[in-house]
Formats: sequence, C-alpha cells, structure tokens
Amino acid sequence: MAGPPADWTRAPVAFGRRAVPQLFGELMRPEAEVRLRALASLCGLMRDPERVYQAVRGGFLEQLKVLFVDEDPSVRTKTCELLHLMTSHSISRQALLSSSLLHPLALLMDDPSSSCRRSLLLVLNSLALLPEGAEALLTLVPKLMQKLRQVMEEEVEVEEVLLLSTITSCSRLDALPALACDAVLLVGGRLSHLSPDIRREASAALMALSACEEGRRRVCEEALLPAVVELLQDGDVAVQANAAGVLMYTGVITTGKQRCLDLNVIPMLLDLVTRDQEQQEERSRKALIMFSLRALTTLAEAPLGRRLLLEQLPLLVRRSEAAEEDLDIRRAAQTAVRVITWTP
Amino acid sequence: MTFVSRVQRDPNGNYIYSSRPRPVENRSGYGKPPPEQTHSTYGNIMFDPRVVRGNTYAQRILPIAAQSDPDEVQRQQEIRRRNIARKRSREQSRTRTPEAAQGRKHIDVQTECYLEELSDITVAKDIACQTDSFLDRPASPLFIPAKSGKDVGTQIEEGELFDFDTEVQPVLEVLVGKVIEQSLLEVMEEEELAYLRTQQRVFEERRNNELAEVMRLQEQDRRRTEEKERRMAQQKEALKKEKEVAEKIAVRAYTQEYLSGLLPTVFTSLRSHGYFFDPVQNDIETNFMPWLMDEVNNSLERRNTARTLLDNIIYDVVQKRQEMFKETQ
Repeated sequence: MAGPPADWTRAPVAFGRRAVPQLFGELMRPEAEVRLRALASLCGLMRDPERVYQAVRGGFLEQLKVLFVDEDPSVRTKTCELLHLMTSHSISRQALLSSSLLHPLALLMDDPSSSCRRSLLLVLNSLALLPEGAEALLTLVPKLMQKLRQVMEEEVEVEEVLLLSTITSCSRLDALPALACDAVLLVGGRLSHLSPDIRREASAALMALSACEEGRRRVCEEALLPAVVELLQDGDVAVQANAAGVLMYTGVITTGKQRCLDLNVIPMLLDLVTRDQEQQEERSRKALIMFSLRALTTLAEAPLGRRLLLEQLPLLVRRSEAAEEDLDIRRAAQTAVRVITWTP
Repeated sequence: MTFVSRVQRDPNGNYIYSSRPRPVENRSGYGKPPPEQTHSTYGNIMFDPRVVRGNTYAQRILPIAAQSDPDEVQRQQEIRRRNIARKRSREQSRTRTPEAAQGRKHIDVQTECYLEELSDITVAKDIACQTDSFLDRPASPLFIPAKSGKDVGTQIEEGELFDFDTEVQPVLEVLVGKVIEQSLLEVMEEEELAYLRTQQRVFEERRNNELAEVMRLQEQDRRRTEEKERRMAQQKEALKKEKEVAEKIAVRAYTQEYLSGLLPTVFTSLRSHGYFFDPVQNDIETNFMPWLMDEVNNSLERRNTARTLLDNIIYDVVQKRQEMFKETQ
C-alpha cells in the first residue's frame, strides 16, 4: 500500500493532531536511527507555528532533555537545530526560558562535535535577542567568555562570531558580568581581525560594553582607541558604525575625550558626517552618521575640540537644517551645534 | 498393548487410518471392558453372538433410515424374536373347539344370507401387461426462476473512463496552489522576521544614540556639579583663609600692644622677685647669715641652759635651806 517512505531520512508523519505526539514518542526509542529520522521529520514540521504551539502546549520540550546527552552526535546536532527552529516563535522561547532546559543546553557547549556546538550557539544567539532571554543568559556569561577564549585560540570563525553576538546581546542588558571576565581586553584583540564578520561582532561587543561606566574606563585603560579609530576607515558600514559608537561612548568621560583628541579623530568624523551619498545608502549609513554626530558632540565639550569644531561649524549647521534629512540626524546635528556654540 | 491400528494425518493433512488384521476379542458381556489378557482368549467365531448366522433372506435388512445404534438394532431383533415366540406359545395355548363326537365330523358351513361358492380354484384371469421400453429420461429443463427486478444495462462509451489530462488539472491546481500558498506564507513569515529584526536594529541604534546623549548629558551634569562643588569648596577655602589672615593681623596688633609694656614690667617684677641679685650679697645672706644666726642661737641656748641650771640650783638650795630652816624651827 504505502511502500517505503519517499525520503528515508525522515520518519513517516501521522495525520493531523497525531503527528507531533507520535514523533515525540518515537524519540524515546533506543535505536539511534529511529530517533534521527523522527528528529528530521520534526524539523520539517516545526516550521508551522501551529505545530510549534502543539509541541509546546503538550509539554514535549522536557523530552528533549534526554536527547542532549545522547551518544550520537548527529542526534544532538539535530536536537539543537530543532530548538533553533522553535526559538523563532515566542511561545517556545518563553517555554524554553521557564523550563530547566538551559543548564543542560549550556553543558553542550563543550561538545566534541562542531556542528552541534554551532547549532547550540545559534539557539543561544536567538534566545539572547529577547530581553528575558538575555537576562537568563547573563548567568552563563562567564562560561561564554571562557568558551570565547578557547575558540579564539582555535580560530573557529563561525563559533566566534556567534559567541560574540550572544555576548553583545547579553551585555546590552547588563555589561557587568562580561566586564568582570576581562571582556574588553579579549574583544579588543579581535578588532583588527581579517574577517569582516569578526570585526563587526567585536566592535558591536565593544560598543555594548562601553555603554557602561566601567567599560569606558577599561577601554581607555587598555588603549584600544587607536584600533577603534582605525576601524573608522573600514570598508564595512556596520563596522564603521560600531566604531563610531564606541567613540561616542568613550568620549563621555574625560580621559576618553583626551585620548580621542590626541588621536586627531575629529577630521575623520567630520568627513564621515558630511559625505554626500544617495538615498538608499543613507539609510544604511544612518547609524554611522548618528553615532559620529554624537561623538562630535562629546568631543565638543573639551575646549580643544570645541575650537576645532567652531571652525567647521557651517558644515554641521547645514546638516541640521537640511529638510530631507531624517529627524534623528537633524536632532543630533542640532544638539552638536548647540554644544559647540555654548558659552557659560 | 501394542498399537495395531493407527490414525494419522499424512503431510497433506488428509486423514489416514491403517490397521493390521487382528482377531476379534472375546468380550465377556455387552459394554464390559475387555479383560486384561485378551490374546489368549480368542473366542470361537462359530459361537460368537455377534456373528450373523443362518438364512439372511429372512433377516430383515435394516431400514434405510435405520438407527445406527447397534443397541437399538439388537433390541428390535430381540423384540421380533420374542414376538414370534410369544405368538407361537399363544398359538399353542389357545383353546380350540373340542373334538367331534363319534360318527360326526366338523364341517365348515356358510351361514350367511348369500351363499358363496367356495372352491379351491380361484378364478383368475391372466392379464399381461408390458411396460413400454424405457425411453431415455429427457433432460430436465433448465430451471429458470421467474424474472424479478429491473433490467438495467450499461455501456462504457469512448471517452467516459478516466482521462488523465482533465482529471489532473484540479489536482495539480490544488497541489501547486497549496505549495505556493505555503511558500508564500513562509516567505511572508521570513519577511516579517526580517522586518522585526530591522525594527529591532533601528530601535537599538536609536537607543544607543539616545543612551549616548543621555550619558553625555549625565557626564556633563556630573562634571558641572563637580565643578560647582569644587569652586564652592575653593571659595570656602579662600574665605576661610581670609578670615584667618584677618584674625592673625588683629591678633598680631593686639599682642604687639600688649607686649610693648611688657618688657619693663617684666624686668621690674623679676627684679622684685629677686632674680637679679648680687652674688656676694646673696651668698652672705644665704650662707653667712643663717650660720650666724645659728651660732647666736646656740650661744643663747647655752646661756639659757646655764641660767636654767642656775635657777635650778638656786631653787634647790633655797629649798634645802627652807627645809633646813623648817627643821631647825
């Protein structure tokens, strides 16, 4: 009647409501083949939000806990992939956070199989985008930092990028745990890496870290500002934007201002701000322009900076008056002008 | 007891029964089980009640619908025999008419109204009959039951069977439609996700922006308050210093004035206290005068003691004189 299933890598799927419970039941079987096939079918099913809802409501997520410690690495990888698919829906994110799955999941970070580690990092990354997720992952930050150190030594790019972005998301919420593990030094070493992905993630991480007082101080102490300024000339817009963000945050404290002025950063920033591009590039450069304007504002509070900027004032004024500008950019430019022309 | 008969099923599942020829056992009675040692007591077949003996034509054959029960059959035979015996005995015991007297003879006579000729010769007619030769039995006609129900005929015309091209159209449409719908949904979901991500990114940028501004202003505020504090502290310091200086000046003036008349008074008081002294005079006064006084004191003491002594002597003498006088009186 139904011959061998068309795709032997997937288990046959029951009809309607029975599909998800039956597949989860098959996960309990001792043969690894069966489990792998059931997982493959589940991955296919979980793209449908209804199925995800059914799986979460039926409380099947707890069964996945057993699979984390399975001997077969492909089973573990597939489980992580399944979780990654499910984290694209908020209900499963909530369930994942409220269940006790995070701890065994975190133990998988030291898994020998690299694809499993990658999938796991994808899961953690998508979890960290959620504020509650970032909060839950804050406890894991020391482990993540340790892993990052290890991965940096081993030069595995994919995992490094994912780890950095997870740490960035966590640090946006609260940068202190990461700072306690010497994150600034670690991340700063990566600013001049060859790969643009790593540079982007490292600069984003640095920006998130320097949003905190402690981070700013550390950045000045570790003398990372030359590397950051170098990144302003980078080819990737995102990297430039992140570098400008770091400067913006660091310039708030006095030592930062001093260092930046020492590095003669104002002409570069002005150049970035006043470059004329077409409209769609403007959109992607919007962050860059905003951050540069804010950085200029912070530098204008120092007397030396103000003097330099007073000479360039017309440029900024023009920028602030332009009608087709984005509202945020215009406001930022106006603030900058106000600060530059402030007299006690 | 060795098995002389065997019941088996051969490989095809058919029933097979085989048995070796064996002599019939002699049973002691009906229904009684055979005694243990049967192979020595084979009965004589001639005296076996189970064997049918005699003329078998008179034996009634079992009716077709006979009971297969041998008991029944035997019972019936018994009954038959008994009946015969009973009849015979009844025949014998029946009373008959007594014998005729001497010279008489019993003769049968007809006493009915209508006399009948009795003869031994029965009038018989011979009639022969001959059946026709048997014809072959004709074939029985086919039993055709009476027609009932409706007759309906059907014929499949040329194009009425399944035509793939027309049938497949709706199926294909549904399939393709569903697939496309699903993929559209997925694409829309992905787009929505991408849009959410861009929104998140934009929000993050704005947040960073505003955060930087807030921090800058915070920092500015902090700096300003610090500056204010510092200036105020400085001012306070300055005021304090000034006050101190003024106090110092006042104090200096006062002390100056105070001290101006101090020196002569000091000297005079010192002199009055005897701090300026002539050493010879001092020496004389400190050393010589006490010695002198001591010596004077000593000599006066001696004189005093001498006088006291003398007084005592005089007193004693006077006392004695008085006593002597009293005695001599």
